[in-house]
Amino acid sequence: MEFQKHVKVRQEKFGAVVFETLREKIFVTNESGAQILSLLQAGKEPEAVTNELSSMYDGDPAVIKKDVDEVISTLQESGIIKN
Amino acid sequence: MIENELRPKVNEFEIQGTNFSDYQSPLFIAWQLNSICNLECLHCCEEAGEIMPNELNREEVMDFCQQIVDLNIPYVAISGGEPMMHPDFFKICEFFRSNGISLKVETNGLFINKEVAARFGKLGFRSVQISVDGASQDTFEKMRIKGNFKKVIEACKFLVEAGVNTEIVFVPTKFNIHETGKLIDMSYDMGIYGFYTGKIMQIGRAGQNWDILCPSAQEYEEFFKVLTEKEKQYAGKMKVYYYPYDVIEELKYRLEKPSASLLVIPNGKTKLIGPLPFVCGDLRKSKLSEIWNDYQKAWKKDEVISFTKQVIENPELLKEANKWREL
Repeated sequence: MEFQKHVKVRQEKFGAVVFETLREKIFVTNESGAQILSLLQAGKEPEAVTNELSSMYDGDPAVIKKDVDEVISTLQESGIIKN
Repeated sequence: MIENELRPKVNEFEIQGTNFSDYQSPLFIAWQLNSICNLECLHCCEEAGEIMPNELNREEVMDFCQQIVDLNIPYVAISGGEPMMHPDFFKICEFFRSNGISLKVETNGLFINKEVAARFGKLGFRSVQISVDGASQDTFEKMRIKGNFKKVIEACKFLVEAGVNTEIVFVPTKFNIHETGKLIDMSYDMGIYGFYTGKIMQIGRAGQNWDILCPSAQEYEEFFKVLTEKEKQYAGKMKVYYYPYDVIEELKYRLEKPSASLLVIPNGKTKLIGPLPFVCGDLRKSKLSEIWNDYQKAWKKDEVISFTKQVIENPELLKEANKWREL
């Protein structure tokens, strides 16, 4: 997944802030969202993100996959990552 | 994962709408790099022209740039004066871009030729914003004293050709407000990325020339009508952005929700916000991280709240904006 050119992501105490500087829009996520962002930034594919989070947390992988897909979909709709 | 409260959430805000105290450092730095300018625009809100006494020297400038990188500040806008007259202008831009910082440059465009535009293109700026206050030479040069309309339009074209996101900023006054629509059309024809405008602010030289500059309510009404039409006409093709509030409305809002940004002036002092005179930090005395903390505290000070309320009641006090008061 590729981030748009003028998008900057910064980790914060509450999670992360995503700044789309071209449109000057700000998006904030909580810690879980920040982890997903961080893995996507590291070049991981959605499936790998789900697997990594599933191994870190004691949760239902199907639920985690749904969460990851939802975050990615929001980021795509918001023009943060390329479709 | 994932207890309910821990499930991932993504929420969207305008830059002004976030809670500034949540952030470890500013999200945005507006940096007036210098005060010198080759023009004498009637509506300049900075009273630019001469070099400001005690501007940051080369070493201090680069130290500030490094602090911005160290604090992971994502976005910087460089303005002036005329920033391209600063001897280290390109060095600074290159430093920011090589460290992945999103960079906007606000210039009068007179120093941009084909070669400079190509250099900008390679640097991959977020955008270059050119002031074009008229759609004709006569109107433009009435407001932008010593300006050169033809050269500025040429600069826009060079930038577009070089693949630079080029934005036009337009300040409406009695002199030029009738040319708003024509300039938006021209911008689109040139391949401009975005057209930005909003009401003129009663500060700096604009404040001194207020009576001859400030459009009437009727002129503003027509202006916003044109903007609404043009926004629709160019939807999806060119961004037509207008800030609908005046400086007083902005101050009311900022009292409630200060922005997660800092305004740095050429001598290294940091202002709370352009239209207020308050200085909340000095890069010669404090680190940027300390200034960020001081900025947050400053917005809660009685002196700031009370003066801001006075300005809201009596906009004449905006004339104090450039008479700095240390907090």
